[in-house]
Amino acid sequence: MKLLDVDGLSKSFGGVAALRHVQGHSVLGETLGMIGPNGSGKTTFVNIVSGHVRPDAGTLTFGGIDISGKTPHELASIGLCRTYQSVRVFASLSTKQNIDYARLLLNHRGLNQAELSELLEWLQLDTLLDKSAGSLTLFEQRRLELLMRLVLKPQLIMLDEPVGGLAVTEVIEMINLLKQLKARCSIFVIEHTMRVIKELADRVIVLIAGEKVADGPPLEILQNKRVVDEYLGAPHA
Amino acid sequence: MTDSQLLILLSTLSTGLILGAIFALVAAGVTIVYGCVWLPNASNGQFFLLAALVAWTFTASLGWSSWLAAIAVLVLGVGLSYFLEWILIRRLYDTPNRNVAYFVVTLGMTQIMTGIFSMTYAKWSDQFSLPPVVEGISMIGPFPIPNNRLFVMAVSLLVLVALFALLRYHPYGRALRAVFQNREAAALRGVNVRSIYRLSFVLGSTIIFLGGILFALAYSFDLTVAWTMSITAFAIMIIGGPGSVMGALVVGMTFGFTQAIVSIFASPTAATFSYLGAMLVILLFRPNGLFKR
Amino acid sequence: MKSHSKHLVWALTLLALTLPFAASGNKFFAFVLGMTFISLLWATGMNLMYGYVGLMPLMFAGVAGVAGYAMVHFTRTLGWSFWLAMPVASLLAAVVGVALGLPSLRLKGFYFTLCSLVIQTVLTLAFIFFPTYTNGDTGINQVAPPDWFGGELKGMGLDMSVAIFAVAGVLFCAWLVKTPLGQRFVAIREDDVLAEGLGIQVVRCKIIAFFIVSVYAGIGGCFYAVYVGFISPRAFDVLVSMNIWLYVAFGGRATIAGPIIGTAILAPIPFLLQDLQAFKDILSGVLIIVVTLLMPGGIYGAYLAWRSSQSRADSSSNSDKVQEQRV
Repeated sequence: MKLLDVDGLSKSFGGVAALRHVQGHSVLGETLGMIGPNGSGKTTFVNIVSGHVRPDAGTLTFGGIDISGKTPHELASIGLCRTYQSVRVFASLSTKQNIDYARLLLNHRGLNQAELSELLEWLQLDTLLDKSAGSLTLFEQRRLELLMRLVLKPQLIMLDEPVGGLAVTEVIEMINLLKQLKARCSIFVIEHTMRVIKELADRVIVLIAGEKVADGPPLEILQNKRVVDEYLGAPHA
Repeated sequence: MTDSQLLILLSTLSTGLILGAIFALVAAGVTIVYGCVWLPNASNGQFFLLAALVAWTFTASLGWSSWLAAIAVLVLGVGLSYFLEWILIRRLYDTPNRNVAYFVVTLGMTQIMTGIFSMTYAKWSDQFSLPPVVEGISMIGPFPIPNNRLFVMAVSLLVLVALFALLRYHPYGRALRAVFQNREAAALRGVNVRSIYRLSFVLGSTIIFLGGILFALAYSFDLTVAWTMSITAFAIMIIGGPGSVMGALVVGMTFGFTQAIVSIFASPTAATFSYLGAMLVILLFRPNGLFKR
Repeated sequence: MKSHSKHLVWALTLLALTLPFAASGNKFFAFVLGMTFISLLWATGMNLMYGYVGLMPLMFAGVAGVAGYAMVHFTRTLGWSFWLAMPVASLLAAVVGVALGLPSLRLKGFYFTLCSLVIQTVLTLAFIFFPTYTNGDTGINQVAPPDWFGGELKGMGLDMSVAIFAVAGVLFCAWLVKTPLGQRFVAIREDDVLAEGLGIQVVRCKIIAFFIVSVYAGIGGCFYAVYVGFISPRAFDVLVSMNIWLYVAFGGRATIAGPIIGTAILAPIPFLLQDLQAFKDILSGVLIIVVTLLMPGGIYGAYLAWRSSQSRADSSSNSDKVQEQRV
C-alpha cells in the first residue's frame, strides 16, 4: 500500500527551478531514503511534502488522500510528520512539558501511560523529564524529537538529516535507534551522504539539481554510473 | 497655462521636493539602522523634533545664527548617538529577535522624550521657527520662493546624493551593506560587525537630526511633527522595504509629493491616513516592501 | 493546583473583594482602587496575549475604546440597560478585534507589533475624526452609571462590581492557561512552526486568543466609561496600550501573579502624581526600557528565578526552571 505518492512535483523560486517533475513514492513498512547534494532540492521537497511550501505543479497524495495545500497540522492529524535539520524543541520548557504538548493532538486517544513509559525507556529520556529541553545535549534533543513524533502515532515520519551535528559514536547509536524505529513506524530519511541511508533505507531516491536521477535499493544506487559521477565520486566504502 | 495655475504647480513642486527630500532623508536614516542593527527606531520622530527644538533654543535664547545652531546641533547629535549606543543599544547586539525588544525600547524612549518636551518646550511656545540661513526671495517665473527654502532643498538633495554615494562606493558603505546582507559572512570577511553597528546607528541618527534641522529651517513647526514624522518614516521604510535605502529615497520622494498635492485639497491628516493605509497593505501582502535591500 | 496555591488564591480573592469596603470611606482611595481593578482586568487580558501566546497587541486600548463608545451609544441612544449593553458592546469589540487581527496573523514578532500599532493609530484617528458616535476629541461626558433595579449603581456598589469582574477575569485566566487550549497558546509562543508540525491549529488558536483578549479589553472599556464618567480618544490611545503592557511586563508576564503585582504597583501611580502628567510619561518610558533591558521576566519572574536558583544551589547542572529568553 502506497503511503506517500508524488508525481510531477515542480517548484521554482524567483525563476530558479528547485524541483522539476519529481516523481516518487513510499510504501507502508518500507524505509525510503532521499539523498542529493546541497541545492539539489531535497529541502524544498521535504518542505512541500510537510506542508510548509506550496508546489507549483504536481500531485501529492498520502495514503490515497490528496495533501497538496494541506497545512502541517492537518498533515499531522492524518499521520504525516517531520523532524527538522536544525533540531527543534521547546527549549525553555522541560522535557516532560515538551512531550505533554506533543500529546495535545491526540489527547485521550493517544498513548497510554504504559506505552509512553516504554518509549521513554527505549529512548533513554526517562531520567531527563525535569530538565529543560534547551539544556539537553544535541543527541538527547534528537531523541526527544523522535519521542514527540511517536506520540502523534504517525504513519510516516520524515527525518530531515537526523544525524546532523552528532559525534561519531552518537551517529552509530542513532542509526541503531532508527533501525529499531523502523519496526514502529514507516520512515523517510533525507540525508546528504550515503552512509546513513545505506544502513537504513530499503530504497533510495537520488535528487540532483531538482531532478530525480535514480530510484532503487542502496546497492543499486552505489553502482549507478550517473549518480557516482555527478555526486558520490569515488567508490563509497 | 495661466499664471495662477503655474504658481500652484511650482508651489506644489517645490513643497514636494523639499518634503520629499526630508522624508527620504529621515526614512533613509531609519532604514539604515533597521537594516544593519535590526533596530526599528520608533522614536525617530522625537529625534527629528529634538534637533529642531534645540536649534530653536540656540537661535531664540542664545541669539546664534542658524548656521551655528545647525552645526552645534549636529555635533551634539553625534555625541548623543554615541552615548545612546553605549548605554542602551549595544546591550542587545547578541539577542535573537532583538527587533521587538528594540522597538519596545524605542517606544519607551518616545514616551520619555514626549514627557520632557511637554514639560519644557510645550510651555514656552506653540509654534517654533528658525531664522533663515539665507535672506531674500527669488522668482521662478511668477513664483516667489524664499532663498532659504531653495537652500534647504539644495542641501537635502546634496546629502541624499552623498549618502547614496557613500553606501555604494565608500569602503564603509560596502561594509555596511555586507552586514545588512549577512552578519556572519561579513564577520568572516574581517568586518568588525560591532563597530559597524555603532557607526550605522550614529550615521542613521545623525541623518534624522539633520532632517529635523532642515525641516525647521524651511517651515515653522509645532510638537506634533514628532508623531507625524515617526509614522511617515515607518510607512516609508516598510513600503520601500526595510533596509533598502533606494526604497526610502523613492518612496520618500513619492510621499513628499503626495503630501504636497493632498494639502491643496484636504487637511494633512488625510495624507497621514493614507500613509497608514498603504503601510498596512504592504505589511499584510508584501512584508518585504517594494525594493530589495 | 497545589494546596497552598489554592489557599493563596482564596485568600487573595477574599482580600480583593473586601477592599471596596475598606476603601469606601475615602472617595479618592476608592476611585484609585476601582481604576486599579479595571486595569487589572485589562492587564490580565493583555497577559493572555503577550505572556501566553507571545504576541504584543498594541491595539488593545483601541478595542477597549470600541466597546466603550458602543456601550455609551447603546445606553444613551438606544436606551438599553448597562447590563445588556456591556456584553453586547464587548462582543462587538471582540468581533472587531478578531477582524483587525485576522490579516496580521501571519506576521511575527516586530511586524506584528508594528501592525498592531498601526491599527491602534487608525482606531484613535477614527475616534477623533468620525465624531458621529464619538463626539471626536471633545469626548463624551456625563456617562451615566449602570442601572440597578431601578436606581443607579454608584459608590461602593460599583466598586464592588468592578472588583468582582476583575477577580473573575483573573480566575478565568488562571483556569484557561491550564487547559489544553492554554497549553497550545504556550506551544505557539515558544515555537509556532514546531507547534503546527505537532498538530496544533495555530491559526485557529490565535483567532480564539484574539477573541478572548478582546472581550477582556471590551469589558474593561465599558466599566471604564461608567466608572470615570467621561471617555475620549485619549482614554483609548496607544499610551494606554503601552501602559497596560507595562503592568504585565513589569509584574511578570506569563504568570498569573505578574499582572496583579504590576497593576497593584503601577496603576495607582498616575493618580498619586496627578499634576505631573509629563512626569508620568517619563516614568513610563524609563520603566519600559528598564524592564526590557534588565528584567524581561518582570518582578515575579525575577522572584521565580531566584527561588529556583536557591533550591538548586547544590546541583551541578543548570537550573531547569523556565527562563524566558525572548522578549
